[in-house]
Amino acid sequence: MDKLKLEILTPNGVIYNGYALSVVLPGEEGEFGVLAHHASLTTLLEAGVIDIEKEDKSIESILINWGVVQVDEEKVIVLVEGAVAIRGDNEGSIALALEDAKKLISDIADSNPAIASVAAKLESAAQRLL
Amino acid sequence: MANLKDIQRQIKSVSNTQKTTRAMKLVSTAKLRRAEELAKRSRLYAAKMNQVIAEIAGRIKCNKVGGIDNRFFEKITNPKTVDIVFVTADKGLCGGFNIQTIKAVKKLIAEYEEKKVKVRLRGIGKKGVEYFKYNKVELSDSVINLSSKPDKKRSDEFIISSIEDFSDGKIDGLHIVYNGYKNIITQELHVNHVLPVDSDQFECNETNYSLLEIEAQDEEHMLTSLVNKYVEYNMYYSLIDSVAAEHSSRMQAMDAATNNAKEMVKTLKVEFNKARQAAITTELIEIISGVESMK
Repeated sequence: MDKLKLEILTPNGVIYNGYALSVVLPGEEGEFGVLAHHASLTTLLEAGVIDIEKEDKSIESILINWGVVQVDEEKVIVLVEGAVAIRGDNEGSIALALEDAKKLISDIADSNPAIASVAAKLESAAQRLL
Repeated sequence: MANLKDIQRQIKSVSNTQKTTRAMKLVSTAKLRRAEELAKRSRLYAAKMNQVIAEIAGRIKCNKVGGIDNRFFEKITNPKTVDIVFVTADKGLCGGFNIQTIKAVKKLIAEYEEKKVKVRLRGIGKKGVEYFKYNKVELSDSVINLSSKPDKKRSDEFIISSIEDFSDGKIDGLHIVYNGYKNIITQELHVNHVLPVDSDQFECNETNYSLLEIEAQDEEHMLTSLVNKYVEYNMYYSLIDSVAAEHSSRMQAMDAATNNAKEMVKTLKVEFNKARQAAITTELIEIISGVESMK
């Protein structure tokens, strides 16, 4: 299976830079998945979770509050404002990441109904890891 | 010859100053490290953000995205009012850091006034605000305590009114002037033309743009939202870049001041020793001539 190059950047640095098999992004008009050689597009992302299927088929989830994505045939660049990666080697660090993520959600001042579902998704992402 | 006590007092005062400047240099060095780290981490994001906006501007210019009529990307040939936002430090003692920005702002104002364009000046940072107030230049808006502690929320609140005025057509341009960090010993003055997004530099090139497409039914909404974030982020990045530059500039200035004080103490010490020697010699001559006269 072909790989795509994925870069996720936040104002505080790079949160993901590497290859992935596929990535699911929370677009403004709904979630969409991107595989390698996707047609070029630029669109906005809303608060949600980015699911990255990595080369070893494991899935990493990154919570974002706003973003813009630029897809072209070779790479996917995601610019996000705030992001928390749900990852860690042990239970403690995963719990910590989850805590950060929840804080980010509560920071999103928008009374967006989508946010509740984001929180639920996040929990399940952490459950997968635990 | 100066009085011994006077010289001693002077030496003490200079070495006290030296102690202060050295401490300030150390403080700036520590703060610089933190500010530099922050600026460095953001640099990549800022560059990519600019790249995304630039590509969109290019596409709009080359009309690959049909029928978009967005003020943010239009070229405005005869502007009536422009906003100039400048960022200076809240504190002085940092060499030419603030005055460089102020000079650039004055030059920009003069350029616009020549073209009979009204300028609205919006200031961030106590030093610049005070300067323009003292010189009776009207500031339409000013904030202090933001440039020393950059805060995304406050920076957004500040710049949002310019963005709104621009989209309402009250202003026709937005510039951000600040002194940015280049490396530990150099600062670089930036006069950024933020709005409207400049698309002049893009050549319409079939191969570059034919593959690209904007995905959103509501292109207008997407562009507006993107431009808002772009301007907000530009503002914030200017602040963090400026704070790094401020500390590097202050570090240099204080280093120079410490060295100068050191030199000064050196020359004063020489003078002091000379004076002391002269006093001893005079005393000796007095004693010897006294003894001689008694013979």
